[in-house]
Amino acid sequence: MEGDNFFYASYKGSKDFTQQQVHTANATGFGAAADDYAERGIDLNEHLVKNKPATFFLRVNSDAMVGAGVHVGDVVIVDRSLEPKNGRLVIAVVDGELLIRKLEINNNQTRLTTANKRLASLDVTGMQLHIWGVVTYVIHKA
Amino acid sequence: MKAIVDCNSFYCSCEKVFQPSLHNQPVVVLSNNDGCIISRSDEAKQLGVGMAGPYFLARPLIEKHNVAVFSSNYNLYGDMSWRVMDVLKQTVGAENVEVYSVDEAFLHLEQYTTGQLQTLSEYLRDTVEQWTSIRVSIGVGPTKTLAKIANRMAKQDKQRSQCILLFDTDEKIREALKITRVREIWGVGSRYADKLEQRGIRTAWDLQNLSEEWARKNLGGVVGVRLIKELRGEPAIEMKDALETKKMIATTRMFGCTVTELKDLKEAVATYAARAAEKLRRQNGAAAMISTFLVSQEKIDGPRFRHGPTTSACTTLLQPTALTNELIKPAVRMAEQLFVPGKKYKKAGVILSGIVPDSSIQSNLFEPTQSIGRFLMEQIDNINFSMRGDVVKFAASGTKRDWKMRQAFHSPRYTTRWDELCKVR
Repeated sequence: MEGDNFFYASYKGSKDFTQQQVHTANATGFGAAADDYAERGIDLNEHLVKNKPATFFLRVNSDAMVGAGVHVGDVVIVDRSLEPKNGRLVIAVVDGELLIRKLEINNNQTRLTTANKRLASLDVTGMQLHIWGVVTYVIHKA
Repeated sequence: MKAIVDCNSFYCSCEKVFQPSLHNQPVVVLSNNDGCIISRSDEAKQLGVGMAGPYFLARPLIEKHNVAVFSSNYNLYGDMSWRVMDVLKQTVGAENVEVYSVDEAFLHLEQYTTGQLQTLSEYLRDTVEQWTSIRVSIGVGPTKTLAKIANRMAKQDKQRSQCILLFDTDEKIREALKITRVREIWGVGSRYADKLEQRGIRTAWDLQNLSEEWARKNLGGVVGVRLIKELRGEPAIEMKDALETKKMIATTRMFGCTVTELKDLKEAVATYAARAAEKLRRQNGAAAMISTFLVSQEKIDGPRFRHGPTTSACTTLLQPTALTNELIKPAVRMAEQLFVPGKKYKKAGVILSGIVPDSSIQSNLFEPTQSIGRFLMEQIDNINFSMRGDVVKFAASGTKRDWKMRQAFHSPRYTTRWDELCKVR
């Protein structure tokens, strides 16, 4: 049908400050000189959360993806509004459980692969696959 | 056109978001203190679990069918609600969304043509589910009251409606009104419904055929006239601003067990006063009056109990205040006055009223100003808000006991606490 997509979500980010909230000139004199270049400091939310209402934080509780740099105790940022594509890290629902796996789609075959030799990958070709969300970032304590 | 978007079994759906094993399984959510059932999933409804019934009555049925039971997790529901509302606001514009309750919102859709509404509704339904995993039902009609009727019918037969029903022709509206009973109409209470039915006015169609004059005389004046107009498709109930400041703030809880000691009762009342003061400050208000009430337990014929009479007292403050310490003092003093030794208490509460905006506090010549106290309160609220709990509190609230609710089946606060995040394997 034509004209299907006449409504698009507007701004999806988490930036919620105005120009007035940026600190400006003060008595030191530096303020006056730097005034034209004033901006807000870096906000991690802006970088990590692209679509706030669809973004959830989950805690990794297995070493299934350890080879991909995802460790036990890490926090993963999951965006439910993204389309699960080949090669992406996803949260999949398998037997009522939430699993973190890599989605592989090729030659009409769909697999949920692990990055750990001790854990088998799962062939889900032909099964009804339920992807809970797409992982966008992994937060790991250095 | 107007639409109402309503989340399906909202509290149960929230519990299912992070527990996919509950998909298609019966779920119920209990009220504060685990007293009554306040939300049922469709599967639980089909098993015959009743709404708003006491939990202990439904318990045999619940255990027989292995229904998942949850205490209410308002941190989670509040967060999921905000997400759903945000999707709606992003799509149709924040100024066109009126958040009506935690799980319902009216949409003002004058900017769309009637032909676009089906696609828009489908987009909203699918996007909300994709982004938040919450399913919504959408009713669309020329007025809020008609949209409510459409929504109700969409929910009754989800298979057929796919959770969307549009009243886009007069024909559809007429058919719907003829099968809608008066007591099912939004805003018609059971007393008016009885009255109408006695006079042979059984359906919404009968009602809208009545004259406005008749409604003015017999249906509560202007409210009745509005109702008739709305049913005829003339918008009479306007969109409201989402955030309304409350005229009254009440904090009241059932005790987990009965209380007989004055000391315990005072601690409880102080806790409720502190909580109410916090709510008051959140809306930048100050209260001129505070009342405290106590409800005792009474024994009637053997093992059955019922609520005893409520005793209450009210104090008018010298000057409207939002300071916890100034509110705790009179609240506790009133509890002392009301307390009768030997009685068992089940419930207590604190009500703040006479609320005025804090900025316009009429200063009293003989009372010192509140600036230092105000600063202190801000600091306490900030600490408690960022630590998410009562880290800093007044000693009157007690330091050992927890006067909060009984919640035996509380799920993790998945979206608001770092240490309660959902785990993935």
